[in-house]
Amino acid sequence: MQTLTRRLFAPLVFALSLTGAPALAEMTKSLNINGATGLIDMPSGDAQDDATFSFSTSVVGPITRATISFQITPRLSGSFRFQTWRDWNTLFPADSSKFDDRSFDLRYQVLTESRYVPALTIGLQDFTGQGYFSSEYVAATKTFGDRVKVTAGLGWGRLGSHGSIGQLFGDRPPVATEDRGKPNVDQWFRGEAAPFAGIEYKVNDRWTFKGEYSSDAYLLEDDERGIIDRDSPFNFGFEYQKGPNVRYGLYSLHGTEVGLVFHLILDPKNRATGGVMGAAPVSVKVRPSRSADPDAYDGGWVTQPDAGPLLRANLAKRLAVDGIIIENLAYKAGTVQIRIRNNRVDAGSQAIGRTARALSHVMPASVEVFEIVPVVNGIGASKVTIRRSDLEDLEYAADNATLLRDRVTITDAGPVPSYAVGDEDLYPKFRWSLKPAFRISEPLKGDVGLRLSAAYDIRPGLVLSGSIYKRLFGNVDRTGAPSTSVLQPVRSDSSRYSKFGDPALETLTLAWYARPAENVYSRVTLGYLERMHAGVSGEVLWKPVDSRLALGVELNYSKQRDSDGGLGFGEYDYDVVTGHVSAYYEFGNGFVGELDVGKYLAGDVGATVSLDRVFVNGWRVGAFATVTDVTSTEFGRGGFDKGVRFSIPMNWALGQQSKSAFGTTLRPATGDGGARLEVDGRLYDSIREYHTDALDPEWGRVWR
Amino acid sequence: MGKGLAVSVPVKLASCLIALAVLVACGNDKGEPSPMGTIVGGAAKATLAKVRGKRGPAAVAAAPTTRADLEKFGIPILRAVIKSRGADALVTISDSKGDFVTWATTDGTTFTLRNGVMSQTRGLGPDLMSAAVPSVADLSRVGGTHRRSYFFLAEDDRSVRRDYDCTVAVVGRETIEIFARSHSALHVKEECTRPEGKITNDFWLEGATVRKSRQWTSPGTGYIEFEKVID
Repeated sequence: MQTLTRRLFAPLVFALSLTGAPALAEMTKSLNINGATGLIDMPSGDAQDDATFSFSTSVVGPITRATISFQITPRLSGSFRFQTWRDWNTLFPADSSKFDDRSFDLRYQVLTESRYVPALTIGLQDFTGQGYFSSEYVAATKTFGDRVKVTAGLGWGRLGSHGSIGQLFGDRPPVATEDRGKPNVDQWFRGEAAPFAGIEYKVNDRWTFKGEYSSDAYLLEDDERGIIDRDSPFNFGFEYQKGPNVRYGLYSLHGTEVGLVFHLILDPKNRATGGVMGAAPVSVKVRPSRSADPDAYDGGWVTQPDAGPLLRANLAKRLAVDGIIIENLAYKAGTVQIRIRNNRVDAGSQAIGRTARALSHVMPASVEVFEIVPVVNGIGASKVTIRRSDLEDLEYAADNATLLRDRVTITDAGPVPSYAVGDEDLYPKFRWSLKPAFRISEPLKGDVGLRLSAAYDIRPGLVLSGSIYKRLFGNVDRTGAPSTSVLQPVRSDSSRYSKFGDPALETLTLAWYARPAENVYSRVTLGYLERMHAGVSGEVLWKPVDSRLALGVELNYSKQRDSDGGLGFGEYDYDVVTGHVSAYYEFGNGFVGELDVGKYLAGDVGATVSLDRVFVNGWRVGAFATVTDVTSTEFGRGGFDKGVRFSIPMNWALGQQSKSAFGTTLRPATGDGGARLEVDGRLYDSIREYHTDALDPEWGRVWR
Repeated sequence: MGKGLAVSVPVKLASCLIALAVLVACGNDKGEPSPMGTIVGGAAKATLAKVRGKRGPAAVAAAPTTRADLEKFGIPILRAVIKSRGADALVTISDSKGDFVTWATTDGTTFTLRNGVMSQTRGLGPDLMSAAVPSVADLSRVGGTHRRSYFFLAEDDRSVRRDYDCTVAVVGRETIEIFARSHSALHVKEECTRPEGKITNDFWLEGATVRKSRQWTSPGTGYIEFEKVID
């Protein structure tokens, strides 16, 4: 086998070795074919490095698995998996040829490895699904030297189906149909328990050999469905690490099957480019000392009629380099307030730093106070006040970021000063774009299309915008079959919307954003809000600049749109008033929690809990769950609405200055319960970037 | 929204559709292209060389340039070599504030040195954001000890600090050649340690001038070698 594998991989290795792989100092905490930290099919006691985000896809005979995993904290990790069984009708010709299932895992590392203690992890696999992949385990892993890792564990459920040592905690009851989709608490660690074990041997920095004894009998696939012939509990094979982000595996499984796996391993905390790319900033311009040039400090320039347009033009030229646009400029002899729109720099603090540097070059010497107000959707998000002399003094000081932060104040943006100089070129303004767009509905399912977007900025905070989407290709369900949901099909008719609405008018809205009072922000959006619903949506948010807590209220009236993507409402004749009271809380380290309580689109009442981990560079990974008064039977497959979402900034991947991102929301099943309107420009996420909980962790970039 | 809109949008749209065949975004609603290199100081406009990233083509060898060519610019020139990314650049002054001089490449990378001792870099990716560095007098004091502090942007863009205790040792007087000119310089080694590791900086001092040096920058960049070519 070893020679065979080598032969198979030899040409590949040659091709890959040209690009080179960095040396791996310690043994990799590798992933298994299920995308969980582990051996080949079995889990291990290891955990990935904090925040590791991985995408794994594996093919073993007729089974394909695609898994997204995230190391939520250093000890806790979770996975979302999409699994397809082909040849499902081998023994039951009446069934469809394919069967698929979605599952969630959670793992917690109880003990981290030390000299005498192994790493110990407790895991739940498919703990809230239909139960096809359900199992629980305890696994211990110990490293010996720098090449060998040994794992031993005990599994229940699927992982207790071969070589059982008996029932330790009693019978494993089946999951009742109505409980499918809910956490299968009654099953956990119940039923037959069976041991599993394995070894990893690091041949060199690129190659790893793995062998395991599996405790999964594949009863479903072998005995019930006859799609896999499981002859042996022994699996073995090789893995090849290509650079820090890619790992391949080739295995012999069950004595009869060949398995292939591909892992893409990403580290949201570190850019692929190794640091913040982009050109150096201009140096701060230091004013002559007051004694050397007292005339320079004369404030008489304020009265010159052409001072405003001139300063504005000079600043605009300097800021354009970083894609920063000036909304307003207001000045007195000693103070300037500049309101900026940051279109490109991913870190708010860097945009602020670059603006301050530009001001140091352009503003007359009498101006000592720089007030920088980042504007999002026409709303001032906060006001960062920097003293010009601090900027001059600290540019080359050791630990200049901390020193500057101590002297800077970040407060509510306040109203636009009455004497501000606006820009006739900014409003009204027409913008448009035509871009390729991806619509991913679930792992391995999505559409590639084109999106034509246009916006007309009428005045600050008032924008008319719309978008049209045309699918080009993809594998999203487009049968057009009507929903069988007992609820109003507010979401479950997506097959119809995909089939009949191509191309479709996605949105056509008039949105008004404002800051009506200190710490209060508001939004009203009117029109075709999203693909399936149109109406009016209003939101008010209270969020002091330095507060961890934010509170919001949203009220909507909407009608369900026709599935043809046009302007009509005749097809469904459904309208509903929905609304939520929301609390947002910043837990620290980038964890943001949200609780929404209210009425959802199908008229159901309940609450949504969500938790996101937000990284400074714009990465976001989160999960949410909604429980409403809809019963699990009414909801259909999945029991209740839940899912995971992620967003990967282009800047992180490519290193260029950009604020665009790639991301999606994945649900095990889409039902009509717990559905909310998808409105653009919700307030909390727009505002948060420029409040202290987001600015402070990345404050070092003010000097970047 | 000018008069030309009615005409230009369909025309632009049509050309975009063609461009989109190869998946390129179109429109007027996107950030302007990154104007790398347009913001360096005036003196640097004399095109010399660019620092190239590790993914870029091989380093531009400074070799074909002669001292006579460089002297024609009539401005101070520093050579910076970053072995870890195969970069070799001639840089000019973009800013000067007291003891601190910032040197810039034409593609927007800067090195700030305090009398020849590096305190900041920008545009390298893994940059040195700021530092507390010794003076040339500290480096000339044989057997002298001092502290060094480095500040970087680490994981998730958080600022991190590294403190080192350093000692200075004399290696000896050496003759070094920089662009066909020999200099007699005192080679000193600055050894800096902290519990987690050690770095060594080398300086070749010609009186109070740092003629040549090899200085540690950041975990991702490693060492940078500087040669003061034209004073």
